[in-house]
Amino acid sequence: MILRLAVKNILHNGWRSLINIVVVSIVLIVMVWTQAMYYSWIRLAEIQQTDWEYGKGLLRVKTYDPYDPLTFDESYAPIPQELQNAIDQEEIAPILMAPATIYPQGRMLSAVIKGIPQQQSVLVFPSGKLSAQQKDIVPVLIGKAMAKSSRLSQGDIFTIRVRDINGAYNAIDAIVEEVLPIPAPTADIGTIWVNLDLLQEIREAPNTASYFVLGSSKYQNFESSDFRFIDKDEYFADLYQMLENERFQQVLMYALLVFLAMIAIFDTQALAVFKRRKEIGTLAALGFTKAKIVLLFTLEGTIYTVCAILATPILGFPLFYYFATSGFPILEGYDEFGLPGFTEPIKFLYPIDEILMVFFVILIFTVFVSWLPTRKIAKMNPVDALRGKVN
Amino acid sequence: MKEVIAQIKDLSKSFPTGEGEFWALKSISLEFNRGEFSGFVGPSGSGKTTLLNILGSLDTPTKGEVEVLGNKIHQLNQSDAAQLRSKHIGFIFQTYNLLPVYNVYENVEFPLLLIKMDAAKRKKMVKDAIAWVGLTDKIKSRPNQLSGGQCQRVAIARAMVKKPELVLADEPTANLDTENSFNILDTMLKLNKELNTTFIFSTHDPKVIEYLKRIIRLIDGEVASDDLASGS
Repeated sequence: MILRLAVKNILHNGWRSLINIVVVSIVLIVMVWTQAMYYSWIRLAEIQQTDWEYGKGLLRVKTYDPYDPLTFDESYAPIPQELQNAIDQEEIAPILMAPATIYPQGRMLSAVIKGIPQQQSVLVFPSGKLSAQQKDIVPVLIGKAMAKSSRLSQGDIFTIRVRDINGAYNAIDAIVEEVLPIPAPTADIGTIWVNLDLLQEIREAPNTASYFVLGSSKYQNFESSDFRFIDKDEYFADLYQMLENERFQQVLMYALLVFLAMIAIFDTQALAVFKRRKEIGTLAALGFTKAKIVLLFTLEGTIYTVCAILATPILGFPLFYYFATSGFPILEGYDEFGLPGFTEPIKFLYPIDEILMVFFVILIFTVFVSWLPTRKIAKMNPVDALRGKVN
Repeated sequence: MKEVIAQIKDLSKSFPTGEGEFWALKSISLEFNRGEFSGFVGPSGSGKTTLLNILGSLDTPTKGEVEVLGNKIHQLNQSDAAQLRSKHIGFIFQTYNLLPVYNVYENVEFPLLLIKMDAAKRKKMVKDAIAWVGLTDKIKSRPNQLSGGQCQRVAIARAMVKKPELVLADEPTANLDTENSFNILDTMLKLNKELNTTFIFSTHDPKVIEYLKRIIRLIDGEVASDDLASGS
């Protein structure tokens, strides 16, 4: 009975109800869109980093500290005998890295040179193009960001200076075999990829690696004095931290949007309590308790949000569909910022559980905001209400 | 044998004003029997509506006791008072006070929904009540599609549908023309006779006074006279 009366009152309100529903729905659309953007960005970044660098986990040399370039020179260790079979089976890809200086067109730039086996199937990296046979001019692969920052392009020849483990500098000539669209920034920015065997030779560190990319999770528990397993949380720590930082802005924006939507509902409710005093008195005379009247008004406010939630997929469909199919466009230069997931349009995925949580939170807020103005009803004398008096 | 359904003992009611208190009712003692067709008569500000509101448990006495259908009004909590109103008392207001979002049927049905009557019985009672007041052809009309007289007849049907023991009518004809006023009063008198429902009016309309069988005159919150009408 209360629900029916509430629904009828909302229908009776006509365009005022419609405006409330549309306002709340627009807020929900923006929130769903934002939620989907962050979610899709992270998922895309995870997928790209996994495909191009992380695989099913990393076994990384303990001396390596990604935040301390001075450790790069010492970041290698002999490949454990126990892993050799897995490497031969292409279940594990050993990567050797070393600090280097490159001289494209006479300019001097710092870089990290990474060696990857020509035969590997753990990463999507096209390492087959890195031959160990051409020692006079070594073929290298670079990513688009590296090509842009070093102004190198396919076929360019430049000099790389690398120090071997004994401290002697070796200079080699290299040719850019191909510029790859590497979506993982850590595998692109400042990185030059060469054949692993060649790099081991240049470094005079045969059979060594800086880390292993695992193609199977069965090696995650591999015990070694030189290498340790880097789990997903540690590997993606920077990304997740970045997301956390973004989360604050997201919450701030949500709060602002929710505030605006709630003002619309609060205003309608406060006006309704004021305008419908006589109805409140009548309901009391007919036998409604004050609690029931409060429930009626609160329900009316809540129904706005329920309708808005139902309207959100309909009103937001064109927007949601566009971003799911065409993706969020990457602005010019964003791919050089080193942000994972920002190298191609982000096609939106809609995390149902997170979106339902957003709806639920909004619903709770609405119940509260709808209830707030009805506190006046509890203090209202039915006789005054019947006369249309304001307490 | 006469059955007392409402008893007022030494009732006083005051309202706070800027300068102190205003006594709207002063030491009133009255009794009402089942099936009475009586009314409070007097000028504006004489306390008619206040007395009616207290009898209807919408207001409480400042002093004295009021007992309606065995319920001491001054002792009732909000919920009990609401229950008394929903089950046993019907209200008719000067301005009809129909729910604008409901049609005639739904307005009349509303009190029965409150007492959780089953659907089949409810439907029959609502249709009967609408037939009593002669609005069967307007069953789906909303209040804004009805005349004042029709609205007041809907209000009567709403008050009568649950067959309450007591109906309190506050200036029911004040907004109606003569013809409609007589129609309404005839309807109420018919219901009073057929269902033995007690009607208590608050009025200063001579047309209503003409119909009353007991006239209680109030002046400045006091009972000036309490007379049976001639022919009663």
